[in-house]
Amino acid sequence: MRLKKMKAITLLLSAVLTVGLIAGCGGKQESDKVTIRMIESLTSPKRTELIQAMLDKFQEDNPKIKVELISPPFDQADNKIRTMLGSKEEIDILEVRDLNVAEFVNNGYIEPLNAYTDKWSDFATVSAVSKSVGTVGGKLYFLPNGLYQRQMFYRADWFKELGLNPPTTWEELYETAKKLTDPSKNRFGFSFRGGAGSNGTTDSMILAYNGDKVNLEDSMFTKDGATIYSTPEAKAAMELYLKLYKDASPPDSINWGFQEQVQAFTSGVTGILLQDPDVIQSLQEKMEEGTWATAPLQTGPTGKALFAAGGAGWGMSSKSKHKEEAWKLIEYLSSPEVNTKFSKDYGLIPLHTTATEDEYFKTGPYKTLIDMSDKPDTFVNYKPAFEYPGNGQWGQVAMETGQALLLNKATLDETLKKWDSYWTEQKASLKQ
Amino acid sequence: MNNRKIILTGLIPALLLVLVFTYYPFLRGIIMAFQEYKLFNLSHVHFIGIDNFKNAFQDPKFIMALQNSAYWVFCSLILQFLFGLTLALMLKKKFRGRGIYQGLVFYSWALSGFLIGMIWKWMFNSQIGVINDLLLRFGFIQERIGFLSEQKWAMMSVIIANVWYGVAFFAIMLLAALQSVPSELYEAAEMDGAGGVRRLWNITLPYIKPTIISTLMLRAIWIFNDPSLIYGLTNGGPAGSTHILSSLMLEHIIYGGDYGAASAIGIIMIVILLLYTIFFLSVTKAEKAGEF
Repeated sequence: MRLKKMKAITLLLSAVLTVGLIAGCGGKQESDKVTIRMIESLTSPKRTELIQAMLDKFQEDNPKIKVELISPPFDQADNKIRTMLGSKEEIDILEVRDLNVAEFVNNGYIEPLNAYTDKWSDFATVSAVSKSVGTVGGKLYFLPNGLYQRQMFYRADWFKELGLNPPTTWEELYETAKKLTDPSKNRFGFSFRGGAGSNGTTDSMILAYNGDKVNLEDSMFTKDGATIYSTPEAKAAMELYLKLYKDASPPDSINWGFQEQVQAFTSGVTGILLQDPDVIQSLQEKMEEGTWATAPLQTGPTGKALFAAGGAGWGMSSKSKHKEEAWKLIEYLSSPEVNTKFSKDYGLIPLHTTATEDEYFKTGPYKTLIDMSDKPDTFVNYKPAFEYPGNGQWGQVAMETGQALLLNKATLDETLKKWDSYWTEQKASLKQ
Repeated sequence: MNNRKIILTGLIPALLLVLVFTYYPFLRGIIMAFQEYKLFNLSHVHFIGIDNFKNAFQDPKFIMALQNSAYWVFCSLILQFLFGLTLALMLKKKFRGRGIYQGLVFYSWALSGFLIGMIWKWMFNSQIGVINDLLLRFGFIQERIGFLSEQKWAMMSVIIANVWYGVAFFAIMLLAALQSVPSELYEAAEMDGAGGVRRLWNITLPYIKPTIISTLMLRAIWIFNDPSLIYGLTNGGPAGSTHILSSLMLEHIIYGGDYGAASAIGIIMIVILLLYTIFFLSVTKAEKAGEF
């Protein structure tokens, strides 16, 4: 008798445990409401708060739709999104990034938005750059929630002290940075970044030096089809890059990434920083007003600076069961009013061209970016090589070989040869 | 009546868990090591034989990471053990506030490796880091040292951070073992006129030998497998000089999306660990641990 009871209890318990383990992690469904699951990628506590506030407002206006926001830590977010998409978990809206949109399209994870934007009245004012960032193979896959674009930040007080003007070319930037450098005072001209993201500097120098030669639609290659690393201009650019590191940058910066690069600028070690507008807030917090200012990007010898606006934005999962509702939310988040407010609050360039008429973007640190977009002949927008499978690894390859070059473990010719063959191979694998 | 059935039913949840979360991924990893399995092109997964392994051994980065792994495990392990043992011996004696002191000493063990990497990255920074600042102030150096940017310092710096991290583990384990040594043994030895060193050598060490052996073995495996510290500190730089096998594997996944290449490195790591374990156990088994 006792044994029977025990047996029944054991069976029951193990059944409950097993079922619970398997099903316990799933969510509950409410019958009358549609639940939209949305996942963000570029997470930070402040940003999540802003997004949640927009979602709260949306849910107030649309009581039939419930939005569930998933915010993984930034470092794991993209992998988490990939895993969820790969395992066909229910996700309706996801934050797609310029650097992984091609991957998602390739795997059939995301839905083109053209059918929806055709019926959307505010689409007319979406800026051309934003459209280009979200487009793969002629179809729009995400609407950026704001754009990042590089500009120069400099120590206005140091410049004034030495009677210097903000440099307009890379050559001038080197000369200016050299004048600012005084290792005995632990002061250096340039906030160099040799660690993660180092290709942000090397590639933009090489692109600026190649100037008109670059194929803007396929920016790792020239109009003749050779890689941008194979030209004599690339060599000239990299020679200057080496001098910039050796004469005007902290030696330690060979291994610096984003944080160290910005921290060195805010703590008064370096005088010139090339960064995106999302650093503006931390500069405003940590530095005294008037000690820093902004200037446009530097041009190459041909008088051109090539830049790419980067960004992430809202895309729709192709497996979504609530596409109408998902679009409704994307449309809301991308409306001129909501998006412009978000861009202001977080420090991004807004999605709509109409937003630049806002007084806020006409003054202060954002002004430079607007000025740049007013001179499209000097500041030329190109499309980064996001459709190449190897683009994700390029940053790492460029960093490691670039560090070897800076450490004199490889010559400049060898390094450029490696970069050239990396992209030649990429081209070949794409054609297959 | 039917006890076996009851036991078996009771075991199902545990068995399922182990199968699903341990052995399935393991098998999947073995399969992926022989496939071209790239995140960018999941519709084109196919078998490619031993190409992933060939590529690994032809990659100078892999060879460097292999050497670094050996250096990293050996130095970290020996230093962690020596400092941990010293600390445990010092904490064995009772004194006021020992509990609080132990907590303070052991807290590093509770931090995540990635976080420790971040903390040490800032401390090692040559322009704004505290270590350079202190060395300069006390006049030990005239010029700032790029701990993480010069190849001759980078690996050593990473190991220092790892030693700091792991000392607490040995201290905790060895202290627990030390406290189990019967005090009569020491009393008897003292009566026989044995000095401190003699007592350490003839009583303490033989008595805690089983703990020493198992902690050394476990810790070596952990150090070998854990990329978090290196990932947070140097991300393998400069120029790949601080990569170990596990951080290189991580790099293939995070930046390359290449699960095939990463799995191949994973398999190689398992083989190395197996060989190490067999070797370690056969060497230490010669004398039966704990008997004296």
